[in-house]
Amino acid sequence: MVRERYLRQLDLLKESVLSLGEIVELIFRDSMTSVIDLDIGLAEKTLVLEPGVDKFEEEIEASIFDLLALQQPMASDLRLIVSSLKISADLRRIVGLSINIAKIPGRMEGGHVKPLVDTKRMADIAALMLKDSLMAFETQDVELAKAAAARDEEVDKLFYSVWVELIEMMAKDTSIISRATNLLFLIRYLERIADHCCNICESVVYLATAEKVRLN
Amino acid sequence: MTESVQNVSQPQIEVENLNLWYGEKQALKNISMQIPKNSVTALIGPSGCGKSTFIRCLNRMNDLIKNCRIEGKVSIEGRDIYGQDVDVVELRKEVGMVFQKPNPFPMSIYDNVAYGPRIHGASKKDLDGIVEQALRSAAIWEETSDRLKSPALSLSGGQQQRLCIARTLAVKPRTILFDEPTSALDPISTSRIEDLIMNLKKDYTIVIVTHNMQQAARISDYTGFFLMGELIEFGQTRQIFHNPQEKSTEDYITGRFG
Repeated sequence: MVRERYLRQLDLLKESVLSLGEIVELIFRDSMTSVIDLDIGLAEKTLVLEPGVDKFEEEIEASIFDLLALQQPMASDLRLIVSSLKISADLRRIVGLSINIAKIPGRMEGGHVKPLVDTKRMADIAALMLKDSLMAFETQDVELAKAAAARDEEVDKLFYSVWVELIEMMAKDTSIISRATNLLFLIRYLERIADHCCNICESVVYLATAEKVRLN
Repeated sequence: MTESVQNVSQPQIEVENLNLWYGEKQALKNISMQIPKNSVTALIGPSGCGKSTFIRCLNRMNDLIKNCRIEGKVSIEGRDIYGQDVDVVELRKEVGMVFQKPNPFPMSIYDNVAYGPRIHGASKKDLDGIVEQALRSAAIWEETSDRLKSPALSLSGGQQQRLCIARTLAVKPRTILFDEPTSALDPISTSRIEDLIMNLKKDYTIVIVTHNMQQAARISDYTGFFLMGELIEFGQTRQIFHNPQEKSTEDYITGRFG
């Protein structure tokens, strides 16, 4: 076996992306808990994590540019590097959206305008999509990636039904507009997070098969 | 073999079940491939894999080696080049070759290029035009037009190699074989030769043996990977470097061995 140092760098890259993924899962979960429970303390704990995650993602990006510039990666190595670059960018966007979610509790004086049943369901599906997409990346499991991305449809359906419900509520009672708008943003963020999970799944399919597919 | 290079409608070179032995040792094992016209095909593989031996079968250079025995069929433009009626000198005029080390003759730049056309009977009045055209096609006219009578050996290594390409072009081949043409050259001379090869494919079919995988990736349309005398994989270069189908190809091009 030759190029041992290079191979270690590739292993490390994959591990780093997976570690970033774990942190992103945690931030997303805590941001959702903070908004469901309107737990401002948990929200603040989540908000302070953003700069560290950004820095981690930048380090991953820098190591990718080094590998590209110095090692001339080919074939599956090249695909691992390209998909890692795209997946870490999607993960960073999920963090950004989670941070937006964690800012909501601070603006929700007076409590929720309705019980967050479907919204929580959206968040649970998105969290599962994130978990499975990362697992699929780790194991290069194309079927798992496709199954994870397929759940996006349900997230979209829930998005539209909650959207309509909130608009109708605001039409009837203008005093809730401010708080209901925060929930509109929340479901929009969740819908976007699910889309980024689909992107991750697409990167996994590319990594495993070299084929570019659209999964959402 | 990848689908895209199977059943090429009009292959320039068609190899069927080619086997070659040096004495007892089998150096090529049952090679079949179809090389499309007006394309660059790169042959890669570790030292001793048979790629240079293979390219030398395409203009019968192996005939010069003692105890070398060949079985199978090589057709160029539909003609069996190992057939009874083949004039090897004529064949090598049609299938030119450029070697690893630039090997200009110890004569002037002009005479180097004019050498081939002269022995093939070109008239004196045509020679100037032929030489200029060949030097232009080989992208070395600008550097040599004012010193055609200077010795070829006064040129730099990269210029000598382009002169050798001009010398090959002067006899108007339709296929050109390059056996590691840039391995003795610096990066700038290398990229000039690479540009030249890519330009030449408009008019010629090119087969190049190279140890430089990035070079194969940069300049070729098709890539064949050889290992221990076998053609392991042959396909579009994009496919081979993006998503090879054979594990040993993947291992070689990602530097796992070789």
